[in-house]
Amino acid sequence: MWRFLARRLLELVVVFIGVTFVIYCAVFLLPGDPIEALGGDRPLPESVQQQLREQYGLDQPIWQQYVNYLGGLFQGDLGTTFTGQSVSEQMANRWPTTITLALTAWVLTVLISVVLGLVAGLRQGSAIDRSVLLGTIIAESVPVFVMGITAQYVFGIMLKWTPIAGIGDGWPRAFILPALIIAIYGLAGVSRLMRGSVIDTMQSDFVRTLRAKGLARRSIVGLHVTRNAAAPVVNVLAIQLGSLLGGTVVIEAIFNINGVGQLLYKAIQDQEGTLVVGVATTLVLIFLITNVVVDVISSLLDPRIRND
Amino acid sequence: MNGLWKAAIATTALIAVALTGCASGGSDDTADDVRELVVGAADPVPDLTPGRQSNVYGLMMSVFSPLTFIDVEGELEYVAAESVESDDKVTWTITLRPDWTFHDGTPVTAQDYVDSWNAVALGTNAFANSGQLASIVGYTDLNPAEGEPTTDEMSGLQVVDDHVFTVTLTHADSQFPVQLSQAQTAFYPMPQSAFDDLAAYGKKPIGNGPLALTTEWVEGEPLVAERFDDYKGTESTVDKITWVPYSDRLTAYTDALAGNLDLSAVPATRALQVSSDFDEENIYSFSAPGMNFLGIPYWDDRFSDIRVRQAISMAIDRDAINEAIYGGLNKPATAWTPAVMPGNPDGVCGKYCEYDPDAAAALLQEAGGFDGELTIHFPGGAGHEDLFNAIANSLRQNLGIEAVARPSVGWAEFGEARNTQTLDGPFFSRWGALYPSQQSTLRAMFSSAPVCKNCGGALSPDVDAALTQADLTGGEDGTAYGQVQKILAQNFPIVPLFDESYNYVTSDRIEKLTASGVGEPILTEIVLTDD
Repeated sequence: MWRFLARRLLELVVVFIGVTFVIYCAVFLLPGDPIEALGGDRPLPESVQQQLREQYGLDQPIWQQYVNYLGGLFQGDLGTTFTGQSVSEQMANRWPTTITLALTAWVLTVLISVVLGLVAGLRQGSAIDRSVLLGTIIAESVPVFVMGITAQYVFGIMLKWTPIAGIGDGWPRAFILPALIIAIYGLAGVSRLMRGSVIDTMQSDFVRTLRAKGLARRSIVGLHVTRNAAAPVVNVLAIQLGSLLGGTVVIEAIFNINGVGQLLYKAIQDQEGTLVVGVATTLVLIFLITNVVVDVISSLLDPRIRND
Repeated sequence: MNGLWKAAIATTALIAVALTGCASGGSDDTADDVRELVVGAADPVPDLTPGRQSNVYGLMMSVFSPLTFIDVEGELEYVAAESVESDDKVTWTITLRPDWTFHDGTPVTAQDYVDSWNAVALGTNAFANSGQLASIVGYTDLNPAEGEPTTDEMSGLQVVDDHVFTVTLTHADSQFPVQLSQAQTAFYPMPQSAFDDLAAYGKKPIGNGPLALTTEWVEGEPLVAERFDDYKGTESTVDKITWVPYSDRLTAYTDALAGNLDLSAVPATRALQVSSDFDEENIYSFSAPGMNFLGIPYWDDRFSDIRVRQAISMAIDRDAINEAIYGGLNKPATAWTPAVMPGNPDGVCGKYCEYDPDAAAALLQEAGGFDGELTIHFPGGAGHEDLFNAIANSLRQNLGIEAVARPSVGWAEFGEARNTQTLDGPFFSRWGALYPSQQSTLRAMFSSAPVCKNCGGALSPDVDAALTQADLTGGEDGTAYGQVQKILAQNFPIVPLFDESYNYVTSDRIEKLTASGVGEPILTEIVLTDD
């Protein structure tokens, strides 16, 4: 178990250095000059641009810039943006918001897709089964911004149930609508998986035995099938939590939520190298750590995995 | 089976409760006694120092008072200044109104202005708006081409007494009083406390305007300003304004539609829809001193014949595009500066700015036609897609040129390609003037030292000479600049497209919104419904 964990953590370090370097290069190799672009169509005076380039080390070769960045990183300094804000402060302000949003979306995905999967799986081939499949697929094929803007009009303007923008109203009111939309895009996959798993479990030997024992169907489904069928789904759901964090970009923009997704989007647009690297690396780290945690949990749940 | 259904129903109920149960705690910001407004704002550049900000003009104009003010008719008024005078248009004497104070209670003095301008101009401070001060003698000493500046004071600024100071310019400039107006925020004064820690000052600037900030800038949080009781100018009609930052203008608009904002800008993508979303009396369209053009790559021989450029201009149906894309809110251009500029020579472009597909095709034929593909370049992601696709369509249909419109990844890519003359076709070109004078647009785009590199097409020495002449002889009425535009009409360096408008929607709480000379609404003069 410990060797397993140590190996995974070592992998983390390698991936971390690789990812920061690749992202760093990618941002700095983008066409155009971020300082020139700071002023948009009203360019900054030449002397101001020159000063900013010096200040942020943009006049140095890219390897030197990366070494400087890594040097700062080991001292716990994630650098500053071209407008002088601390990157770590920016992230500290925004991660809680994005994590709240992603967790809310994740819980909604779990609740809805497990219920949908159970219903569909237990009534395999019925009208309900088919409409669950069709419904989730249709929902998933609507572009996310169309869904977002439509939901704003319906729930925010017509019904006035939820706020449209910002998180001023706090959790859950301000988070429920954006989270629900993010959740919808995970439903099709997870509910299908749950459905398959339920069907398999219903046909397994132990369920037949339970039935033979004369146990009520309610108890079979509620106590035994749900728990066993959920095992493979847990894996997928946990991995999804990682990708949910990265998948909030569009939703955060539509709902004016100041989260990491929006920060990353703006940073890429403005070619804010240090900010992009900081955010992207944290995203990758979270994804990797979630995977390690999932592996550990699975190995605890299923001793067979631990034996390798 | 029943258990399952119960679970499903319970989940649905849970979500429904989460959605509706908390609805009761909704907005309650319509207090009766405080005259308060909530307005949508752009996400500010994270430093509100007037010398640095570039997208919160409404807030700046409420918290600061400019020396001069250009009203919607283009007339100049004095606000913080009592007078701005000069005999030779080179050395200007600015006399401040007595007894004005900053929000911290300290008096506004001539020294404060001089110190503020020096701080904004100092190259090592790298303030975005420092270019607005570039014509003051000594600016180059603070911004040397090589190395560190040897001084931090511009020699062109001299304090005479507490309320009088003189400004010496590098050349005669009749437009200087206009340059001191509301949107040129580099000319705003800062109190002495600011210079101890400019970064801290930028979080919560202390101004000399009708409202004073009561909150500090925090990422993504609203900014609040309240009435400054000791203000000596025209009293504000509102007691309190809250600026809610939105990173997406469409979201701000949608929030206004839901009744959460009293004032929001209309994003370009909603120009066609705004009249069905809002009542007519809640929609305002203000002429702005901004203008867009189709830039011409003068480094490409295919465009060197003036008839090619004129044919392109005549092949564009500005009226139809205006209706189809901007909902008729913009104005087809008839000159090289927007009509809102004082003394603008409307119509100087003549028939070449009017749609005439047959004449355009004939003119192109006469010039020998056009070889190869024509690619129109524009910065992507800034809402210009429809405009440039429409122009490419016009050129294809009316001139038979293989024209396509190609967006860049973003500003950085586009800007670099334009600066280095690597664009191989006509391109997006625009100037949003910060002071309503033809001089601003002409200087920034067509002079030999343009702010916007390669925006205005091939440079002509005639333009420079005429511009200098107009700077010398012109008055605030701006008519002297008509001569410069006649030269542009003869050379036709680039194609004028549209005068811009700034469009706003309001809640029913706002009875009347008035514009200033730069197209922005004057927030502290808003008439509320209950008046």
